[in-house]
Amino acid sequence: MEGTFAEQLREFLTYANATFLLSGMATTLVLSVSGCVIGFLAGFGLAAVRKAGGRVPWIVRALVAVIVEAFRRVPFLVTLLIVFFAFQLAGGNVSVLVVGIVSVSLIATGYLSEIVRAGLDGVHPNQWDSAIVANFTYLQTLRYVIVPQAWRVILPPAFGFFLMFIKDSALASQIGVVELTYVGKVLNNKGYTPALAFGSILVLYFVLSYPLALLGRYLELRLAQAKHH
Amino acid sequence: MDYTLQFGQITRFLPGFFTGALISLSLAAMAFAGGLLIGLAGAALKTYGSQLARRLVGIYVVFFTNTPQLVQIFFLFFVLPDAGVLLSPYSAVLIGMTLNAGAYLTEIQRAGFLSVRAQEIEAAETIGMSRLQTIRHIVMPHIVRTLFPPLSNHYISMVLGTSMAAVFGVNELTGQAMSANAETFRAVEIYLVVGAIYIAVTLVASALLVLAGRHLLRVRMAL
Repeated sequence: MEGTFAEQLREFLTYANATFLLSGMATTLVLSVSGCVIGFLAGFGLAAVRKAGGRVPWIVRALVAVIVEAFRRVPFLVTLLIVFFAFQLAGGNVSVLVVGIVSVSLIATGYLSEIVRAGLDGVHPNQWDSAIVANFTYLQTLRYVIVPQAWRVILPPAFGFFLMFIKDSALASQIGVVELTYVGKVLNNKGYTPALAFGSILVLYFVLSYPLALLGRYLELRLAQAKHH
Repeated sequence: MDYTLQFGQITRFLPGFFTGALISLSLAAMAFAGGLLIGLAGAALKTYGSQLARRLVGIYVVFFTNTPQLVQIFFLFFVLPDAGVLLSPYSAVLIGMTLNAGAYLTEIQRAGFLSVRAQEIEAAETIGMSRLQTIRHIVMPHIVRTLFPPLSNHYISMVLGTSMAAVFGVNELTGQAMSANAETFRAVEIYLVVGAIYIAVTLVASALLVLAGRHLLRVRMAL
């Protein structure tokens, strides 16, 4: 495709391209949301195990600590490649989107587990002790005493991590997940000038990320205020 | 599934992985240093600059922190040639990572500037310190200590971030892994080993940073 930027722009703005870009945006969102939700649940479980003290054998707690630390120190691209090729070895016919979601979940488990643990640590030790005195089980203590106080501390950084992954999930394009960055590469290969192909996805990432960043800042301020009442 | 993992075939790539890891560390260090300078200027402008300067820095930060680094580098690598600027993969990645780091480090350093409280400076004046002495003994130590932990964390995450240089064909650790995979097809073994190397390298780097912080700056940090 030849022509000036303005001429190309007219050809670029078609219904087909627009829906393609929007579907890529949706996949990016699905990838980050599902990965972070799964990662949050798993990370919460791991943090609860580490916080359980003598109720869980020390070897399990140590193992969890090692897993959490390890997951946070492997680059997302390498995790993607390990998961991708491991699924290939296992022989299952798994879609790349699932590979992407599993990879995001693994990394998110590591990071969100640390965030949750910091939140649980932030609750005053007296609260844990009084729950024991009131004859609460460990799960009851978490459910009725600790989490209601800790979630204000956990939510802002957890949301920040989710926001980071909307951008980091761009690497999933490397294993063939058709998310926003992949769409940009396809449009570039179709012959649109790189300025249009990559420029448009930069704008769309911004449209996705910026309002959420504002929401995150609002949440942070709101929850920080509420804590001082 | 009758595949057995065979690590024997990849031992000959270990020296290559080692050089790759050094390239990752140095790439991250250079981008971090550049980003630190951009961030220092950005934070100074955003805190003390004119209305226009503040707005421009704000746009820069908001744009770079709300778009993926990978796509920013794509843009440098594929769009600039149309404008007559041809970048090698290495320099495109270095420039992209530097600009990206600059945005994040602007925010981090601005928070450090804002954390110096007026009372501290007033107290220094009260005991008769000159302006230079105040900066040397009160403001700088405070800023350095406040900033050291988040800055070291950012450096570590940048070391991990260098893996995306492999996408452009740079021979850092992940790039070396991709070439090794092209030769042997022992993908799972290779990427597991490389993942372990990333863990080891960043653990050593974190430990060194914690030690440096403790002994040189008296900052208490957990690993």
